[in-house]
Amino acid sequence: MMPAKILICDDDEGILDLVELVLKEEGYEVIPEINSLNVANLVGSEHPDLVVLDLWMPVLSGDQVLRNLRNDPTTKNLPVVVISASGDGKTIAMNAGANDFIPKPFDLDQLLGRVKALLEAA
Amino acid sequence: MDSLHNGEFSFSNNTSKQDFELLTKALDASLSGIIITDNRQPDNPIIYCNKAFEDISGYQRSEIIGHNCRFLQKDDRNQTARHILRDAIDNGTNAVVDIRNYKKDGTLFWNELYMSPIKDGDDQVKYFIGVQNDVTRRKKAEDEVKFNQAKMEQRIRERTRDLRENEEYLASIVQTVRESLIVLSPDLKVLSVNDHFINTFKVTREETEGKKLYDLGNGQWNIPELRKLLEQILPTNNPVTDFEVAHDFPHIGKKLMLLNAHRIELEGQFKDRILIAIEDITDRRAIEQRKDDFLSIASHELKTPLTTIKGYVQIINRLIKNYDDEKLRESVGKTSLYVDRLNNLIGELLDVSRIQSGMIELHKAPFDFDHMIQETVGSIQQGSRNHEIVLTGQTGVQFNGDESHITQVVTNLLSNAIKYSPDHKEIGVHLSVLSGFIKVAVTDHGVGIAKDEQAKVFDRFYRVRDVQQKFPGMGIGLYICASIVNNHYGSLWVESEPGKGSTFSFTLPLTSNHTNKNGGDDAR
Repeated sequence: MMPAKILICDDDEGILDLVELVLKEEGYEVIPEINSLNVANLVGSEHPDLVVLDLWMPVLSGDQVLRNLRNDPTTKNLPVVVISASGDGKTIAMNAGANDFIPKPFDLDQLLGRVKALLEAA
Repeated sequence: MDSLHNGEFSFSNNTSKQDFELLTKALDASLSGIIITDNRQPDNPIIYCNKAFEDISGYQRSEIIGHNCRFLQKDDRNQTARHILRDAIDNGTNAVVDIRNYKKDGTLFWNELYMSPIKDGDDQVKYFIGVQNDVTRRKKAEDEVKFNQAKMEQRIRERTRDLRENEEYLASIVQTVRESLIVLSPDLKVLSVNDHFINTFKVTREETEGKKLYDLGNGQWNIPELRKLLEQILPTNNPVTDFEVAHDFPHIGKKLMLLNAHRIELEGQFKDRILIAIEDITDRRAIEQRKDDFLSIASHELKTPLTTIKGYVQIINRLIKNYDDEKLRESVGKTSLYVDRLNNLIGELLDVSRIQSGMIELHKAPFDFDHMIQETVGSIQQGSRNHEIVLTGQTGVQFNGDESHITQVVTNLLSNAIKYSPDHKEIGVHLSVLSGFIKVAVTDHGVGIAKDEQAKVFDRFYRVRDVQQKFPGMGIGLYICASIVNNHYGSLWVESEPGKGSTFSFTLPLTSNHTNKNGGDDAR
């Protein structure tokens, strides 16, 4: 069976590296992306099974990216986990159509657990 | 009575003795003192006095006859009445005076004296007759009236002056206040405004006072929220405080105003006048907003690298499981502990900022109170194996409140209890319901807090002195707890004895029929 493909977009390189490392360790295929403007194209070309999305990013914020995904019939059911250090992140994420929200800083096991659960449910 | 004809005496030689006796008796029966002086003798001596004069003056006839009248004045010689008498005597005319006389025993009496001359055919004054009445009591009453009147006038003058001073004093206070004040008549006409109003709203006194409030400045005060306050809220909820009105004024722009309105209920000329104090909080609110924005951004930016650190520490933790190095493991464990603490502090910083600007939002929903406590106790217990948390009692209540906030309170109290009782393992948590209140008491047997420090522990950034070095942290946890409990209309307090431990308790009312004064559900 092919490993699940996960796209992670965060404007912070440290977090991007960390999450990539952890997810790869777990056997997933990981596409890290620092620029939120590229997410739509990557989703279209790479067809990830799940997206991990930061909220506060320059130019195009995570919730905007997410709304665009939800408006597109081909990605409207794509599982998206939002990660954010913003106090009202959860509300914003859920309103934009996130499947799950994990506040930063997160516990790695928690992140992996949620990701796994979403992939299994999909 | 032969000598009396038609009510007058008619003297004759036969009857003169009898007549004289009769007249003397009549004179003696008079209540008025009567004297006769002989003007032809030097120094005008008294040659006759009746019985009443003896009574009034207290002297005996033998002490009176032959003296000049002045003996009645004793040493009180300098009286205006005397000059009048003197002139009358010199001119041979009538006189009526009130004169101060003294009885033999020295007592003052006011003598109302009618003096009239008796002249012979050549118009020469032979005698003077003096009729005297002791009018001391009348005089006294008159004097009292005069005195009281003078006193009353003096008092009125003083009161008037006081009133004017008071008025000026109050007016100067009103003009100095850095808030706009308006006084409205019951029909909402502007009676007066203070200088600050004039300056803030850039209007003149002339175009303001005497006008209908809603007509001011082309109707710029015809604000729906203000109408609601004046016409709906104030008549039944007097006074109204902290009523927020936002309005875009044509010339001065958008203003956010905080209003206190007070309708005068005191019976009298000012009844039903309306006082409105307006605080312009436009700038303050903007600054608060900027501060909140800044803190949100700061906290977000601080948490971002923290996320990476936390993640890598976790990875290191996993990797070192293969190494048999206790020191390394302990170091990584400590690092991870302090990363969590740093994260909490960043979160608290944001909470404090929100609480201070009243921005904290309550998300109220019913939840199982006992379950919340069990979960909280459970998770704290997991993280601190050295202590045993003993939970007793129960509420059995579905509490309507912000679960995450109340969880935060319980977590904070428990972690304090653990932090401040390093050598005593047992922490007690007791739940109860007392006459409409849930009560939660968290008891430790640790260092305790001195009496004078107990009230201060709920202050922002306050930390008990001795404890400061031993137990690091910013000390804002209890301040946040108290704010959260207050937001639920409960109270949080501490009972403690140094060396024996502390009990932090809080209560929450079960009925939540509390609304804010400004009518909103939540704090702003």
